[in-house]
Amino acid sequence: MKKTLSFLLALLIAASAWGYVDDAISFAYEAASPYVKKGFSVREDAWGGDLGVKDQQAVQAQLFKGNEYWFCLGTDVKGAVLSVNIYDSKGTLINVETTRAGRLSAVRVEPPRTGTYYAIVTVHKSPEERTGWALVYAYK
Amino acid sequence: MPNILNAVLVAGLLAAATSPLHAQKPPEAVDLSSFPAQSIDDVVVPVPSEVFIVLDKLGNPNWRSELRDSLGRQSGNRAQVALLLGTVIAEGFVAVEAEDSEKVKDIGRRVLTLSKAINVEKAVLERSKSITDKADVKDWIAVRKEFDGALHDVKAAMQELGDDDLAQLVSVGGWIRGTEVLTSIIRKNYTTDSAELLHQPALVNFFTKKLDNLSNKRLAEDDLVDRIRKLLAAIAPLIGDGEGDVIPSENVTRIHKMTRDTVAAIASKGA
Repeated sequence: MKKTLSFLLALLIAASAWGYVDDAISFAYEAASPYVKKGFSVREDAWGGDLGVKDQQAVQAQLFKGNEYWFCLGTDVKGAVLSVNIYDSKGTLINVETTRAGRLSAVRVEPPRTGTYYAIVTVHKSPEERTGWALVYAYK
Repeated sequence: MPNILNAVLVAGLLAAATSPLHAQKPPEAVDLSSFPAQSIDDVVVPVPSEVFIVLDKLGNPNWRSELRDSLGRQSGNRAQVALLLGTVIAEGFVAVEAEDSEKVKDIGRRVLTLSKAINVEKAVLERSKSITDKADVKDWIAVRKEFDGALHDVKAAMQELGDDDLAQLVSVGGWIRGTEVLTSIIRKNYTTDSAELLHQPALVNFFTKKLDNLSNKRLAEDDLVDRIRKLLAAIAPLIGDGEGDVIPSENVTRIHKMTRDTVAAIASKGA
C-alpha cells in the first residue's frame, strides 16, 4: 500500500490497469471542491489504496489547532459505502460534521490540540472484492 | 470527467451539504494500538502555510522581515540541491504571506533553476510560469496552491525517476525552513498556544525514519544529511511528548537557532 498521490501516479504509469486509483482520486478532489469556494486550500498530496469489505486503513496527519480541515474521501466503485472518521492520538473521535453523497464522503474537524491525528477509512460495503479509495484534505 | 457526471456530483454534494451522514455512526473511541502497522500510513507532510495561517490568526506577524535576502547557492551535490530546493519552496510560502510579488517571482524562477540541476525541470515548468502570472495579479491563494503543486510535482518526478530518497530531502529541507520561520515568529511574541504549533512528533519521527533508511549510500553518508539526522534527534525531546505539553520559550529559541544554522549550512554548501 503506498501513501502519496505521487506514488499512486507512478503506479498508474507502471500499471495502467489500475485505473481505479485515478478514479478514486478524481472523486476525492470532487468531494473537496465545494470547500474551495468556502476559502479552503486543498492539498496536492493524498493518500490512497484499496481495501476489502469491512477492512480499515488508518492514515496519520499532522494537524494544527486553530485550523479547520475537511478530509474528503472518494472511491471508484459504484455502490460502495465508505466512511472516513478522524481520531486524536488517544483514539477519541473529533468529527465535527460529516457528509456523504454517492461515492464521496467528507468530514470536518477543528483539532482541539496541535499534534498527530488519525483518519480512519472504512469500507462498509461494496460490490467488489477490493475497493479503491483516495483521501485528500483541505484546510483554512 | 464528463460534464454530466460533474453535474450529478455537484448536485449530490449540494444535497450532502445539508444532510449529515447518519448511515454509519462511528465509534466515539477506537483502540489505535489494535491497528496492524501495515494498516497505518505515513503522515503527509504539511506545507508551511498550514501552520503560517494559524500564526496569522494568533497575531499579526511581520512576514516581510522573515524573508531571506539570499536564497542560497547550489553545488554539484544532489543532496544539497534537493535540500536547498525544499528551503526555497518553503520561502515561497513565506513570500506569499508577505504578499511580496517580486520575491515570489524570484523564488518561482529559482525553483525552476534548482529543478533543472536535478533533472526534474520539466515537472515544474508550468508551475513556475503560473507562479509568476498569479503573483503579477496578486492572487495569493492561487500562488500558495502553485507552490504546493510545485513541491508535489518535483517529488513525484523524482519518485518517477526512482529517486525517492531525493524527494524526501526536498520535504525535509522545506520543513526545516518552515520551522525556522515558525520559531522566529513564536519567540518574538511567545505564548503557549503559538508554541504548541511545534508539537509535531509524528513528522519528526517520519523524517528520522526516512533519513535512517536512505537506500542511496552516497546520500545516506552525505555530511548535510548527517547533520540533519542530528538536528532531528536534538529537536525531538524539545517539542513535547504528549498532546497539550507546554513547550517552553527556551525550547523555541533552541529550535530556532538549530534550524537557522542548518538552513544557513544548506544555503552555503555551494559557497
